[in-house]
Parts: sequence; structure tokens; C-alpha cells
Amino acid sequence: MSRRFSTTLEIEAGEICCRKCGHALGPAGAPWKRHAAMTEIPMRGAAGVPYSGGERVVLRRFACPACGALLDSETALPEDPFLDDVLFD
Amino acid sequence: MDPITFSIIRHRLFRIVDEAVITLKHVSGSAITNEGHDLMVSLYRADGSLLMGGVGFLHHLTSAAEACKATIRRFGDDINEGDVFLLNDPYTAALHTSDIYLVAPIHHGGELVAWSACFVHVYDIGATNPGGFCPDAPDIFTEGFSSPGIRLVSGGTVNRDVMDTMLNMVRSPEMVALDMSSMIACNNVARERMLALIEKYGHETVDEACRTLIGQSEELLRERLRELPDGSWQSRQYIDVKGEVFKVALTMTKRDDRLVFDFSGSSPQAPYAINCTRWASLGGLFAPLFPLLCFDITWNEGVVRPIEMIAPEGSIVNCTRPAPVSVATVGAIQSVNNAACAAIGKMLDASEKYASEATAVWHANHFAVFMFGRNQHGGEAIGILTETFAGSGGARNFADGIDVGGEIPNPISRMANVETLETIFPLRYLFRRRMTDSGGPGRYRGGAGMEIGLTPHDAPDGGLHYVVSGKGADFPMSEGLAGGYPGAPNSYIWVKNNEAEPDPRNTDAGFSRSVDDLPGEQERISWGVFPLMGDDVLYVRWNGGGGYGDPLDREPETVLEDCRTGAVSRETAETVYGVVIDESLSSFDPSATAARRKALAAARIPAEAAE
Repeated sequence: MSRRFSTTLEIEAGEICCRKCGHALGPAGAPWKRHAAMTEIPMRGAAGVPYSGGERVVLRRFACPACGALLDSETALPEDPFLDDVLFD
Repeated sequence: MDPITFSIIRHRLFRIVDEAVITLKHVSGSAITNEGHDLMVSLYRADGSLLMGGVGFLHHLTSAAEACKATIRRFGDDINEGDVFLLNDPYTAALHTSDIYLVAPIHHGGELVAWSACFVHVYDIGATNPGGFCPDAPDIFTEGFSSPGIRLVSGGTVNRDVMDTMLNMVRSPEMVALDMSSMIACNNVARERMLALIEKYGHETVDEACRTLIGQSEELLRERLRELPDGSWQSRQYIDVKGEVFKVALTMTKRDDRLVFDFSGSSPQAPYAINCTRWASLGGLFAPLFPLLCFDITWNEGVVRPIEMIAPEGSIVNCTRPAPVSVATVGAIQSVNNAACAAIGKMLDASEKYASEATAVWHANHFAVFMFGRNQHGGEAIGILTETFAGSGGARNFADGIDVGGEIPNPISRMANVETLETIFPLRYLFRRRMTDSGGPGRYRGGAGMEIGLTPHDAPDGGLHYVVSGKGADFPMSEGLAGGYPGAPNSYIWVKNNEAEPDPRNTDAGFSRSVDDLPGEQERISWGVFPLMGDDVLYVRWNGGGGYGDPLDREPETVLEDCRTGAVSRETAETVYGVVIDESLSSFDPSATAARRKALAAARIPAEAAE
């Protein structure tokens, strides 16, 4: 039986999976973003003219490596670590 | 006690707060209070613990509790019927010096039975800069009048020596006096109504109802926490000051019926006034917690008990005296608030039962623009652009964020009419409207922010000055949820039209309809004091709410409608939402849209991951 992790992810048989295609992204209880397809784009111009902030700011997009569904996103400076979310057993 | 009596007393407590808020607004003459609703009124138990959290800025609910407790510690047995105490020292309980607490004991039969407390952002506090936000204050000593507790009213009589001493230190003392009167009146009404309640039901019955109410809130929140999944969620907020970056880092951990907010990893305290004290951080995390986790639970001490905060001493979220903090409410406190909102949103999104309560971050960057100068009536005008309270809603898991939809920490925030502000200040609005592409893209779009353009008008001194502070314009702060993009960042532009050559696009800059129409050189600003003179223009754009879910999952028909209403540009519709729309905005191309969305999804997978 699956367990909800978020709108985009679920836990199935001890693995975190994409809710769209079921692709596994690592064991439940551990950070999953390292197993996702990550693209880092400049925040400036990311979604129109008002995205006019600092040049060094990036938008990290974590997608399912199998189907390309966008699983999570975060604002970051390139040198900063991922924001990790974990559900306990 | 019988449930009918309990319910009546509970509702009477709500109404007492409501009536006190109305009094505060009616007596105050300040737009920030009676238009922007930068205020708070709450009731407290005899020991100072929160009994009935009211409306207004919610990050004051727990700080005012600490103000009551600090007053009890300071004055001990010398707290008498009809007294009112003033406290605005951030290192004792307040958020910053401009937000003055007036706390008033409520006695019945000679016994202290409760407290009422309220705050307004006073017209001025005698700090380096008019209005109280002092971007370049080096320490608390330059941030104006500050008291860890002083008796303003003794037995119902105002202590003129105390009041006059304070008024002697501020600009526009007549307006500050009105602020003080509004808070005294507010506390008087709260006391009278509370005593009427006690007279009707008896002290023991009311006291039992209050104890029951707090116990009920604690039980309900613990039960809710047990229903939510155990886990830890991280969030992060950036603050930019003149190119220097400061961070508020949060790991929120939930186990069983306890919730811990750990801000370890946040930046050391800054040399700028963006810092906040420990009490302010606690208030900052409770501001989203009350509405998001306790939407059907009375906000009182019972809600506080299951929550723990870790805020390293000497950090930006728990600074040490004499670090400057005057910008805290639009600085680190709001960052704490945003970080908590993001983490709570993720926790709710992990729950089948409560996912519909999850939200992306709302309006995360107040633009504290304080105008000051001589106005068209010959008086001294000081005040905030109340548009900062208009906000923008974060998207939820079932709906878009509300355009210009307010903010999480103040359920009653709003902006004044253009006409009100043009009456107070020698200014003319060139435009004030919703900003295209400002809401964070997502399956559900973040609510749009707005843009405004201001120029001097009928100013006896040719214009006025303004203070800009906050968290800068480099970073978006209204984080998205579940893949949703953050809302667009703020922008502040000083358009120098005075020296500009006539421009064929617009022969009269005074009637420009957008920032692009203005002929003058444009300088991006975000920190300091600036002039607004002659034909110059101040352009301000504020952040939209965060989006929710994958933008490629948004219904193409809805994106088309966004384009028609101006919420989303045609270009963003195609590049972010993957919806290909014709130039006349009459329809979208289904096959081109499907192909575009497929390509955008594929582009998210780097070649090495796809192999």
C-alpha cells in the first residue's frame, strides 16, 4: 500500500516514487533529491519580466528522471545544499 | 462546566477582542493602523500566558505574552487596578521599537485576573529615520525611544510626565499621542467588557472556562500533530542587503505530538537592522502556525505548549544586544515566518487528510517604504506605503493563490485607497495595478502582486524623501510547493526624470502608464534613504505568491484565461506552462501545446540522467 509523501511523490514498498510514473528515487527515510534529475536555471527571467532579481540566484528544479514530471523546486545560491525532506518510518 | 456556558464565554472572549480592535481603529488617526491594520489586540491570563489571540499581525501574540510576563517580573506586587504599562524594548519582548505594546492588568475584586494587550506601529519613535525603520542604524541605541517597561497610566490617570517625556523624543508628537490614546482606549474597552463578563458569570466560572479553553486547544493541536506524518522538512530564506547575503535556515521536525523548529545554520547576526530577537523569532514562526495548523483551534497558550524553537544565540534569528533590529519585522522575522510557512506547507502536503490545507508561501517580502516630508497641508507627513499589506496569496493544492490576496501572518491586512495616500502625502499615483507574471507558476498559480508608480505632486518642498528597507530585491521569497515556482521578487526603481531629455514615447512623464514609458535613467535601489523630487518617480513592484505543482499540469484553458486577464504573459504561457497561444489570445493550439509540453518535460532531464 502506498503512502503519500507529497503531491508529486509517494512511498511504495520502501521506496520514494514519482506519483506520475512510479519511478523509484531511493529508499524511504532518506533524502531523495540526489536521485532526481536536477536542472539549475537562472532565476532572472525564469518566468517572465518580473523575475528580475540577482544574477547569482538560481531556481533548482527536481524532476523525475523517467517522465520529466516536476517533483519539487527551490530557490538557491549555487553553493548551497539541497533542502532535504524526510518522512520517518 | 456545562458546554453551553463554556461556549458562550468562549464567544464573548472573541467579541471582546473584536470590539477592542474596532476601538483601536476608530481612535487612531494613522493610516498604517486604521487602513493597513498593522495592529494586534489579545487577552492574556493573570500570569501573562496567551488566553485569546486576536486578529492583526499574529507574530505579536506570543511576544505580547512575554511583555505581560516581563511587566509582572518588573513590577511585582505594584500592579494596580487601572494601570497601563508601555513596553517596546525588543530585547525584553517587543519586535522592534516602533511597535509599542500597551499592556493593561484587569482586576476583579482587587485581584489580578487577566491582562489585555495591544500594539500599533506608532507614527514615529524618534529613531534616526522618520517612521522607525532605520536601515543603517549601527545599534539599538539609534533606533529610538525604547523601554523595557514603564507605567504610562496609574489607576486610570495618565502619567503626564512619562507621556510627555516620550512625546518629547518623537517627530509629530500629536500623531503619536493619538496612537497612545487609541491603545489606552482599546485596553479600556477590553477591561470593561471582560469585567462585564465576569460580573455576569462570576470569576470562578470564567476562570474555569479559560483554563478549559487552553487545555482544549492543547489537546486539539496535539491530536492534529499525531494525525500528521512524522518527518523533517527544510526551508531556507535569503536576505540581501547591499550585496551581502544573509540566510534563515530551518529544519522543522515533527514526532508524535511535538513540533520542533530548529534554526541552526542561520547566519550570524548582521551589522544591519534586519536581525531579530528570540521573542520575535518565536512570534515569527507562530504567525503561520496559528492559521495553518490551528484554523479551527482557539489561539492560546495551549497551542504554544507542543512547540519548541531552537534559535542559536548570536544569530540573525536570536541576536544579542545591542544589535540593531528596527527592520526586523520586514527582515528576519518575516523570513522566519516564510520559512515556517514553507515547512508547514510541506508537512501538510504529506498528509492525505490535511493536504488541502497546504499552501505555498504568501507575500514573503514586505517593502517597508516609509515616506516623510512636509505635505500639501503644511504638516509633517510620515507613513508607510500601505500597499505592502495588500500582499499576494500562495497557491493551494486545490486552487490558485488570490491575486493581491493579503498575507498569512495578518488575516486582516489591507491597503489604503490611492486617494487616502494622496491626501496624506504630496504624491500622485501614476498607476497601481496587478503585475503580469508576478505569481509563481504552477499547476495552481501563485496570486499576483502589484506595481505602483509615484511622483511628487503639490509638494511645498518640491517632493519628499523615503526610506527603503526589507530583504532586498535579489531573491524571490514566496517559495513554491510541490514543484511550483516561487513568486517573482520585489523591485524598487528610482526613475530620474528630472534630468531626462524629452522622450517621444511620452511627452509628459507625469502621465506615464508604465515604468517603461518613463524617460529618465533607472536606478535599482533596495536599501537606504532616497529623495523623490520634481518629476522623479518611485516605481515599486511586489512579489507574487508561490505556485503549487508542475506548471505543465495546469489546464491549457486556464492558462489562456490567465493571458486574457493579464495575469500571465503569452511568452511565459509558452516557455513555462508550455501552452502555445495565438497572438490575439483567442485560443491555444492543442497539438503544438502537447509537443511543447513534451519538449519542456524532456529538457528537465539532463542527458546523463536520461541515458
